[in-house]
Amino acid sequence: MLVNTCCLPAITAHLRGVVVLRSRMSNTNQPSPDRSAHNLEDARLMQRVARGDRSAFAQIYDRFSRPLFATALRILNDSAEAEDVLQEVFLSLWEKSADFNQQRGSAFSWAVTLTRNRSIDRIRMRQRRGVLLSQSVPEDLGYAGPDDSADSTADLESKETAAKVRTAVKGLPAEQQKALQLAFFSGMTQQEIATTLREPLGTIKARIRRGLLKLRENFALQQ
Amino acid sequence: MITEHQEELACLYVFGLLEGAELAAFETLTGQDIELQHYVDGLRETANRLAHIAPEVDLPPQLKERILNQVIVKTETAKVIPFRPMAYLGWAAAACFALVALWAGRMYTITQTENSILRQQQELADTTLRSLQNQSQSELILTAHELDDAKRQIAELNLQLQDQADLARFKIAPLTSLLGNSPEAIAVAVWNPDQQQGVLSVEKLPALAANQDYQLWVVDPQYPIPVDGGLFQVDPVTGHARIKFHANKPIKTVAKFAVSLERKGGVPKAEGPMVLLSQ
Repeated sequence: MLVNTCCLPAITAHLRGVVVLRSRMSNTNQPSPDRSAHNLEDARLMQRVARGDRSAFAQIYDRFSRPLFATALRILNDSAEAEDVLQEVFLSLWEKSADFNQQRGSAFSWAVTLTRNRSIDRIRMRQRRGVLLSQSVPEDLGYAGPDDSADSTADLESKETAAKVRTAVKGLPAEQQKALQLAFFSGMTQQEIATTLREPLGTIKARIRRGLLKLRENFALQQ
Repeated sequence: MITEHQEELACLYVFGLLEGAELAAFETLTGQDIELQHYVDGLRETANRLAHIAPEVDLPPQLKERILNQVIVKTETAKVIPFRPMAYLGWAAAACFALVALWAGRMYTITQTENSILRQQQELADTTLRSLQNQSQSELILTAHELDDAKRQIAELNLQLQDQADLARFKIAPLTSLLGNSPEAIAVAVWNPDQQQGVLSVEKLPALAANQDYQLWVVDPQYPIPVDGGLFQVDPVTGHARIKFHANKPIKTVAKFAVSLERKGGVPKAEGPMVLLSQ
């Protein structure tokens, strides 16, 4: 096989990129160095919280509260209830900080799980999911942030992370984005998502699977 | 090796989209498969980063303060005091002593109450017993009195019966005058066969001369001549006399009584005129 030598640098560069991506893909469970440092700091703070350190707890609040509150509000579409959820979640973090296991995931991920579960529980308890869902399905992922002139370091880091995540999500096909958003924020069942999106259940499952795996790849590519 | 199906289940699981048996089966599987568990943890980490795409909003201004204050309150109320056994030994002993004292006090109170109740019950029983004894005694006394009365009545009845029997056996005989100069003279003789004695009562018999006595005779068929019943005299004015008499021989059957006028001191066999004679 003849190979055009003028194309070799481009081919080599492409292959190098593929190798790097594969290398990263093989460690998709490993966070990026930045992310890892961030998670490590969170874990240290959680250890201090477990010892009753209120200043560490205040730092955890500063680092987590904005995305957690946004998530709760996004799910519940009710500011007062979102505040209640946030209060409950932080109280749980304070009381159960000793149970935090760094090997199973980041402290932020743990806090997000708590926030989602409590918010979805409230939705189901209120039994007005239909109304809320129709209100909560986003039209787009546009950032409608508040005035950030007085943002703290934690806020800036949070916004930076949020921007990266949005970029990664935007790299997904639109139907996968939609499926992931509903899976994450709506509190719907698989069947309800399928009904809402007017697609067969199998299609929805496949979209969620492919979307999440692709998102993981996109995060890996950001490293 | 994670299969495509497991991969799909893991993706649904991290979003909380598995339910019922499917959820239980998958959790069992992840509990047994470390690799799968690690894979799920990684997917969850990825999924939870979606929290960052929620439209950002301003945090309520007082929320941080409220949450931190709540944590402080929780900390104060649930403050964990380090366990130092020796430091608490005194308190533990005091607590034990207090508990024992409390228990003893309670037991004492219960016992006192029970004793009081038992004493009251005993007093009540004693009172009842005394009352019953008094009642029994009263009844006994009444019964004794009644018995005495009954005995007395029986005795009286017996006496009456005895008297009646005696009277039945007594020989009572009116004696009529055989004298022409004093026809109104009258006498009654009563004979008690058991005691072998009798009573004679006479009225309006003529007064006796100084050398004379009236002599009573008891006629018993077993003897050929009347048996001497004794001498007597009468009141010279009224002609009255009442005497107790004995026969000088054992009398079996009284056929008649007779009174004769005899010389002073009497005679073994009637010689003078008969003054009175029973029918």
